[in-house]
Amino acid sequence: MEPVKLTAKDYKTSVPIVWCPGCGDFGVLNAMQQAAAELAIPPENLMVVSGIGCSSRIAGYVNAFGFNTIHGRALPIASGAKLARPEMTVWAAGGDGDGYSIGTNHFVHTIRRNADITYIVMDNNIYGLTKGQVSPTTPHGDYTKSTPLGNPDRPLNPLALALELGATYIAQGFSGNVKHLRDLIVKGTQHKGFAFINVKSPCVTFRGRQEFNVVREHGVYLDESHDPSSWEKAHEVTQWKEKIPLGVIYHVHGVPTLDEIARDLQHKAEEQGHVETSKDLLEIFG
Amino acid sequence: MRDVTLAIAGSGGDGVITAGDFIVQAAARKGLNAFMLKSYGPQIRGGESSARIRISDRPIYSQGDFVDFLVVFSWKDFARFSDEIKLRKGAVVLYDEADSTPPEEFPIAAELGAELIAVPFKKMAAEEIKVPLTKNMVALGVIAALLHLPLDGIKDAVMKKFGKRKPEAAQVNIEAIDLGKGWVEKNLPDGTQIVLEAEGTGEPKLVMTGDDAVAYGALHAGVKVFAGYPITPASPILEFLSKWLPHFGGAVVQTEDEIAAITYAIGASWAGKQAMTASSGPGVALKLEALGLAAIAEIPLVVVNVQRVGPSTGIPSKSEQADLFQAVGGTPGDVPRVVLAPSDVEDNFQVAIEAFYIAEKYQIPVVILSDQFLGERSETIDPDVLFARKRVIARQLAKPSDLKEYKRYKLTDTGVSPMTVPGMKGGQYITSGLEHYEDGRPTSSGTMHQIMSEKRARKLPLIAEESGFVRVYGDEDAELAVLAWGSSKGAVREAVERARAEGIKVKAIVPQLIYPVPEKKLDAALKGVKRAVVVELSFGAQFYRFLRAYYDGLPKETYSYARSGANPLLVSEVLEAIKEHAGAMNAPQEA
Repeated sequence: MEPVKLTAKDYKTSVPIVWCPGCGDFGVLNAMQQAAAELAIPPENLMVVSGIGCSSRIAGYVNAFGFNTIHGRALPIASGAKLARPEMTVWAAGGDGDGYSIGTNHFVHTIRRNADITYIVMDNNIYGLTKGQVSPTTPHGDYTKSTPLGNPDRPLNPLALALELGATYIAQGFSGNVKHLRDLIVKGTQHKGFAFINVKSPCVTFRGRQEFNVVREHGVYLDESHDPSSWEKAHEVTQWKEKIPLGVIYHVHGVPTLDEIARDLQHKAEEQGHVETSKDLLEIFG
Repeated sequence: MRDVTLAIAGSGGDGVITAGDFIVQAAARKGLNAFMLKSYGPQIRGGESSARIRISDRPIYSQGDFVDFLVVFSWKDFARFSDEIKLRKGAVVLYDEADSTPPEEFPIAAELGAELIAVPFKKMAAEEIKVPLTKNMVALGVIAALLHLPLDGIKDAVMKKFGKRKPEAAQVNIEAIDLGKGWVEKNLPDGTQIVLEAEGTGEPKLVMTGDDAVAYGALHAGVKVFAGYPITPASPILEFLSKWLPHFGGAVVQTEDEIAAITYAIGASWAGKQAMTASSGPGVALKLEALGLAAIAEIPLVVVNVQRVGPSTGIPSKSEQADLFQAVGGTPGDVPRVVLAPSDVEDNFQVAIEAFYIAEKYQIPVVILSDQFLGERSETIDPDVLFARKRVIARQLAKPSDLKEYKRYKLTDTGVSPMTVPGMKGGQYITSGLEHYEDGRPTSSGTMHQIMSEKRARKLPLIAEESGFVRVYGDEDAELAVLAWGSSKGAVREAVERARAEGIKVKAIVPQLIYPVPEKKLDAALKGVKRAVVVELSFGAQFYRFLRAYYDGLPKETYSYARSGANPLLVSEVLEAIKEHAGAMNAPQEA
């Protein structure tokens, strides 16, 4: 069969985009559509699952089986989908509030199970959809609508957290560099296991346009001198204070994935004894 | 006696439940009916536990109000069950002679005239078998010999449990059983006044718990992904499917929390596989937001709630029927959902099949309201009846013609729209927890919300019509009816039979479908009924209030008999309620 040529356009939908003009998430959407085209994933074989937040609207903007779910639950829904249909490509997406606050528990355990999905977090350091409250990645001391006296909490470091939890692919992108982000998504999708991509995706409305400049000024693209297979090197990068690492920070292979383990268990069960139909189970109740 | 209830009470390590299991299995092998209710304290090891077993050659509907034959390893432990274990007058009581409680302090009323027999269970196990842990097996031998239980059946059950893996354990247990039997022959050659005089059919029956039955039913219905989180008393469902679902190409995930469990199931079902989650009330409370997601996104889903005593942690190991409001209405928004209530162990199996049938056919979440009393009890089941119902269906997929300008939420007369799954070219769509247009695009339009609310609700009367199974027992033309649901059926059915035996005209009405209310079938069942009493184990009378709110067909004279759970519903209390209402109906009217 002749391979079908797909372009980013094939992944656009007619759903009106509700993001503010200049929102960082436009860059992420472009990168996702370009990555899908480059990977030539037929839209009907792509599943995009998101939680709740401005960025989670993205599930409706990619021509795929899209599911804009409930707050914080993109990962277990995406994991369940992948478990049910391992032959499909599953992307999960959301924001920092969705993934690192209400959904943290799932972040931890999806990493632990190494579900073979790509998780793109549009990290804008603020709750945008609810109009400007402090988020788990808002810098300490920042003034937001819910921290009128300055953010009393220290921000969470999602890269370090993922590394410590044993994530098998950790990357950081910037919505201001679509091409670079596209490559991270392509690599993450090709990775067998949980691919975590934190994307610096500024909120122009509640954090301001200068956020783009912050990333441009402090962003450091990781080059060949960084060895992503080294946990120690990766750890060092995740601890940078001023500089913002961009690129693949950590990448290891060969860790069994959620759906591989499920298949292994099926084989194990079969070895213990074949059961043809559910009626054959009656004997265990005899 | 053709119908004997025996109870064994002791500490967790006494092997009380194991002994009970063997008795039930032995009865099943002979084709007798048996029913076992386990009860235990909060301790994991060493706490009090009791097994209550009823055996008969007639159908058994309840645990039996009164115990005919009691075995006590420790009076101290027994005292903790005094709430639940009520002795019949003239009951036989065996107790361990080594127990330190002096006879004058036995927690048994003298006026019951119980026949008290001291037996050296512990001593025989320790000195003759040299394995103190076998005292439950010694007791089993004593019980079998005195009650005339089928000893060969008990030995078969022991062999089945230990035979292959631990032949030496099987041997020791059988020696212990024979020792107990020998003790009776030597010390009580005339036996006691309580003897089981029931012959089984000879056709072996199955022994199943309600939790296993609902899991097995789901497996038969084609569940492929199950996700759960441990919680008493629903964990056996997770355990059963963890063992067996991989044999059928399925997967089980013990998730990080209750919300992950339901959302895994939702993701799997959205992707095209039949999926289920199970929990108890507190866990289901955490799942409710996601239940609403399944409802608005119209994703087939089955959620089992094995109810326990609440609120909050309540009494985790005991039963109650007080999650009805939660199941029917405990979600933000107007959430169309289906609530099914199994009423015995076999029904747990059937209801699981029915739940998947409704979920898949109508693309709607279905809640199965079981409870601890159903989930953790064992019953004998006739194997032939299990697979009688042929309602197993696969995912109902959109037709190729639906895929042209595909509309996932197309407005239809039935409210059911064509559903695609990943891999179907042209079938991709956006879905969400947001209100939406026919093609799934989100909208904030109030008009659209009204239209879609109506669409989703259109399924409900169809489900009530197709699936509204209502059981009726007793006199068809009775003017007095008892309305009950779920596990209350057993005691209610037995009470109705006893009332009728005493000349009272009465019937019991038990719907399997709780919500949507099967109005037409309830109307038919209530035809000619002038007075109804709604019986339930909910302090707040949730079923009574639910019927009042959702059903117009109740007789004007409808009363409530409601109390909190933990202690199982008794036949005698229902009978008393029936008599009271029958009496009131026959009383001369005041001028």
